[in-house]
Amino acid sequence: MIVLSPRAPAPYPWFVHELAPVPDDSELARRICAATPGHDVDAEAELCRRFAPRIRLYGLRHLRSDAAAADLVQDVLLMTLEKLRAGAVREVDKLASFILGTCRQTVIDARRSGGRRGRILETFAPTLDFAIEDSDTGLDTARLETCLEHLPERERSVLVMTFYDDRPADEVGSALGLSPGNVRVIRHRGIERLRRCVDEQTS
Amino acid sequence: MSRPLCSSPIPEAELAAYWLGELEDSDAEDIEQHVFGCSHCSNLLKLLVRLGVGIRQVASEGTVHAVLTPAFVRQMKDNGLRVREYRLQPGTSVACTIAPDDDLVVSHLHAEFAGVNRLDLIFEDPDSGAQQRMQDLAFDRTADEIVLASNTRYLRELGTATRRVRLLAVQAGGDREIGTYTFNHSRYQA
Repeated sequence: MIVLSPRAPAPYPWFVHELAPVPDDSELARRICAATPGHDVDAEAELCRRFAPRIRLYGLRHLRSDAAAADLVQDVLLMTLEKLRAGAVREVDKLASFILGTCRQTVIDARRSGGRRGRILETFAPTLDFAIEDSDTGLDTARLETCLEHLPERERSVLVMTFYDDRPADEVGSALGLSPGNVRVIRHRGIERLRRCVDEQTS
Repeated sequence: MSRPLCSSPIPEAELAAYWLGELEDSDAEDIEQHVFGCSHCSNLLKLLVRLGVGIRQVASEGTVHAVLTPAFVRQMKDNGLRVREYRLQPGTSVACTIAPDDDLVVSHLHAEFAGVNRLDLIFEDPDSGAQQRMQDLAFDRTADEIVLASNTRYLRELGTATRRVRLLAVQAGGDREIGTYTFNHSRYQA
């Protein structure tokens, strides 16, 4: 398994942010295609940085496992780069759709992809050094505890019972004697209130 | 130059419904398609997921008090959490504690909830008279108990103390007490 390490930060990030144009997805795809047989390392890194969090969310949503989601990120990014380098992506203007399709297919083929995955990793691992922002732990837990304590009782019950195991409104509602619609309203208010509280304390 | 924000952002409530698997497949796929091509909405979803992960962590560590359900507590135990449980009928008391390896301490407060539209809970220190009122609890009228999870950090710092919980049916004409439960807490002794 390769280790995905963060890129070194730019020496003057504010300068880069203000002046450097941000390439859109299709431009990145074209640059990667055009660089073959060499590699446009910056474009590949930017593509990985941009899409890794989205692929990871897809993996968490469909596989409900951190480890499986992390594997999916690697598999899909490496397959995407392989296709782009080979000029095998027909519609580079629809790169996001291509990557989403690859995610869907990879999940479907998960059991059969073991051998292929190993081969691709061997091909790409030594040459890639891309950043993956995959941490969900950026929240200050102590702050979150305080904010949870300040929520109205119903909102706290609904949020805890919802997010402890990602349960839908009908399940939470039937346990608490509430309608699914009512749970959604309480949940939405709770999320808004909680995020506002966390943000206020952060700032 | 920064990337333009999304021109048609997905409401957070809809992102939550997507994440929790409440949408029809076609609606979920539409959201997925949009999120994949949109840094703004994918970031919103990421923040929502991060909040959910944080709530899960706090719940697993028992560092928040909350009214839960028996089925939910069973699920936590099935997930491997060590849950210390106390069961009380109205008007009774219990000697209670928290062990070093307890993840969660819950009290099953039995009562008759038929006809109760709004339920409040008063948590009080009988010695000082200090009170804290938890208003409008989520509860199932058809059940014969509510489950109160106590903040484990608070319990670990409590030492030897008595705390009383009163359940009140809030109704026109005044509150009606439907149960009083006394907790005689002491430090854990192996």
